Amino acid sequence: MTVRLAFEDGTLRIESNRGSDPPLGGLPGVETDPRSETARTPALFYGPIRDILRQLDADVDDRVCPTEQLGLSTGYELRDYQQGALDSWVDNGRRGVLELPTGAGKTVIALAAIAHTGTPTLIVVPTIDLLEQWQRELETEFEVPIGRLGGGEQRVEDLTVATYDSAYLRADELGDHFGLVVFDEVHHLGAEGYQDIARLMAATDRLGLTATFERPDGAHETIRELVGPRVSEIAVDDLAGDHLAPYEIRRIEVELTPDERAEYDEAQGTFVDYVRQANISLSSGSDYLQLVKRSGNDPAAREALLAKQRARELMMNAENKRHQLARILDRHREDRVIVFTAHTELVYRLSERFLLPAITNETGAAERREILERFREGTYSRIVAANVLDEGVDVPDANVAVVLSGSGSEREFTQRLGRILRPKDDGGRSILYELVSAETAEERVAERRR
Amino acid sequence: MLTKDLLRVSRRGGRYRPEFIGREVRPLAARLIGTYRDHVDQPRRAVDEAVGAIEREETDFKLVRGFAALLDREATFETVAALPPERTRRRVFEAAEAVGVATNEEREQALINAADELAVETAAVEDSFYADRDCNQRLTAFESRWDPDDLIEQYNLSLAQTALFDATEVAVTSGDPRGLVSAIKRLGLMYEIDREEETGGPDERMVVVTGPDRLFRRTRRYGTAFARLLRSVATSGEWELRATVDDRGTERELLLTETDVTVPGVDPVAEPSYDSGVERDFAARFSSLDLDWALRREPDLLETGTSVMIPDFAFDYRYADFRVYFEVMGFWTPEYVDKKLGQLEAVEDVDLVVAVDDSLGVGEEIEATDHRAIPYSGSVRVKDVVDVLREYETGLVEAAAAELPDDLRPEADVIELDALASEYGVSTDVVENRAFPDHRRVGQWLVRPGVLSTIAEELSEGMSFADAEAVIEQHGVTDASAVLAAVDYRVEWEGLTGGVVKKR
Repeated sequence: MTVRLAFEDGTLRIESNRGSDPPLGGLPGVETDPRSETARTPALFYGPIRDILRQLDADVDDRVCPTEQLGLSTGYELRDYQQGALDSWVDNGRRGVLELPTGAGKTVIALAAIAHTGTPTLIVVPTIDLLEQWQRELETEFEVPIGRLGGGEQRVEDLTVATYDSAYLRADELGDHFGLVVFDEVHHLGAEGYQDIARLMAATDRLGLTATFERPDGAHETIRELVGPRVSEIAVDDLAGDHLAPYEIRRIEVELTPDERAEYDEAQGTFVDYVRQANISLSSGSDYLQLVKRSGNDPAAREALLAKQRARELMMNAENKRHQLARILDRHREDRVIVFTAHTELVYRLSERFLLPAITNETGAAERREILERFREGTYSRIVAANVLDEGVDVPDANVAVVLSGSGSEREFTQRLGRILRPKDDGGRSILYELVSAETAEERVAERRR
Repeated sequence: MLTKDLLRVSRRGGRYRPEFIGREVRPLAARLIGTYRDHVDQPRRAVDEAVGAIEREETDFKLVRGFAALLDREATFETVAALPPERTRRRVFEAAEAVGVATNEEREQALINAADELAVETAAVEDSFYADRDCNQRLTAFESRWDPDDLIEQYNLSLAQTALFDATEVAVTSGDPRGLVSAIKRLGLMYEIDREEETGGPDERMVVVTGPDRLFRRTRRYGTAFARLLRSVATSGEWELRATVDDRGTERELLLTETDVTVPGVDPVAEPSYDSGVERDFAARFSSLDLDWALRREPDLLETGTSVMIPDFAFDYRYADFRVYFEVMGFWTPEYVDKKLGQLEAVEDVDLVVAVDDSLGVGEEIEATDHRAIPYSGSVRVKDVVDVLREYETGLVEAAAAELPDDLRPEADVIELDALASEYGVSTDVVENRAFPDHRRVGQWLVRPGVLSTIAEELSEGMSFADAEAVIEQHGVTDASAVLAAVDYRVEWEGLTGGVVKKR
């Protein structure tokens, strides 16, 4: 008889009924499953197991692998460093991660990788905007129907783009449809749940893309196991002045109005009083979490948290920020401006005040696509967005960005910057404005970034 | 199901128990239902604010939000606007682009231009601009049939389901094992039968439910499937579900039963339905006999290889932990017969009797699988089944007798043999042929000689039978004739109604 390999709900089911077959226990990840009385392993190990069985010249009945060849080709001419990155991935057995700064053309390299392998491919992305962007790129490049999982659609094709959330939910069901998986912003795979996507898919070819491979939380170790090692690394410095434009940061401090200040002090006071009386130090995030936990059954703690939220909102919505934004919009009438803020309500307030097209997590897929398209082609020269555009979304040719408040996370900051690092036609420098309220916690967040 | 942030559980004493609610929160439930009713035609923002106000008055804001989340599903929210909002926005953004809006005056100008183009007032433009945002949508209908009690019942179910999101494994016993297995399969889960040795009854069989990936890691991936399974399990009348919950890295056990959770609008299924008339007919006829065996319907899941079979009946012996399974194999398709024979071949080691339709001609094949076969045509003869049970009974009586000492010394002065037998948990036949060194056997009674002497002293020659009977009954024995004989009295009957006692 033979060794039979079958995909079953995210796992590889292995059956063998002859003594002369290779012992299954020695294969990577394999365990005995008393429920089915077969050997079983996460689908992740399908590639290695297939290779081992081939080397042993075993008689294998393989029912897993999609063998279909799609015959895709790409018209992109790869730059030297892009070709180099692709080559090292192919040389590593089509497994591994490419580390590329924003703007280095990771999409182009991935499209070339898809064309090179010619196998059904799943592209996994963290946001709806990236979902839209990849779908558009794939449609333009390959002229085949493109599947999509996420943003209200669930349609599977040989080339499919999925959000991490949708891919997580359907990994065990779709795990044998694809020969290649591309993980955009692959560091997301470090999250415990998302790891399942890589573990439950049988795809033997795996490509990860990220701007920063190594993480303080050690997530890259997990990614190494699930996708492969870093096979190529390109630093920002390698590209600056070449493909990326120079930029400048202007930081504008905004004072609260007297009324706002009074209201802020009261709300902040309520919060501080509680914290002092409850003897919480708030020197770390876990102390804050402690407070949030307490608020579940302590009305005073909850009151304190609500006060803190009110203070934060006051700061965020400071009237003078709107005045400053009006001045910036006035100054940059001929430029292409993108305004960012973390708070959805503020996005809508700015959209209503300045009649700016808005993109938030509430915006429907069709309208979102239309607004981005119109911004790209120049029908609109300004948009306001919540941080939904945080990661790697391509907004070509914006040369002015305005950030109202921020979380202070390093990564978020650099990636936002990366987004406006686009060459301007006349060679002028891009500008990033940062609007912060003076003498507040928010300011300390901005300090921490420097 | 609720979102996880609305989960309320108690971890007191290392347990993990959803904080179920009861009649004490009826006023709150009624108030929230009323809030939704009162806000028809209002924007969602107003509904949220009203709920928020109740939240601040209550100590448990998660409970308030949980109720609101359930009521939200009963509510219809719709965009109400003079103009289609998305189209309005497109015109406004285009107008703003043309004007270049920075100042308030420029904003007004852009709005006027857009309104002109749409042939409406600027107020209509501003009102429609974001009328489709969730917070601006109107509550157009709230047609819930829920009264406060329904809402509470639904809440408890949803809360238990939410607690299961973090479960890595569940074990279920159900009054409807067939329904359980089909729900497990429908949800893409896997199961094993786990037998726990129980004292004082047949083995407890739990169906341990997991998903494929559980073999490799303790995963919460199947949590939502477990939550759906609960809804299905809770429709049976009697059930128990034990879940292993991954509570932020700590493993805890969650126990749920039919007293915690029910499904609104669903009457629990108390008795499984019968597959065929042959089975129903047999159950009715068997139950009318007074035997030492209790009949149970679809009692258990038996393992057959990697699958299960659910026998139609089991007979539980009253005097011992002993169960005989009984399967009725009717005339069906050849595939059915093959499947059944396959199951019988692979089924775990239990006592299984199969009634088989004569026309199938597979009696011998069944005997070959080490199960007893009872042929029938038309309907199963109860007598044939009873005969088989009698054989088991003989074996059981012998086994029990072997364990019982030859001399029995009950503590009571007076005891009936039946009562003694059930004290030992054996049938009366077993105790009957034992020796009783401390007692005398009087009819079906055991009586200490001392008691008999006392009775003898209290009786006298010529006493009426009725009085003698009363004396004997005072000592706890109801069989007066046997006692009189034992103390050497006889009854001299006078006519049909009475008599006197005389020494022999």
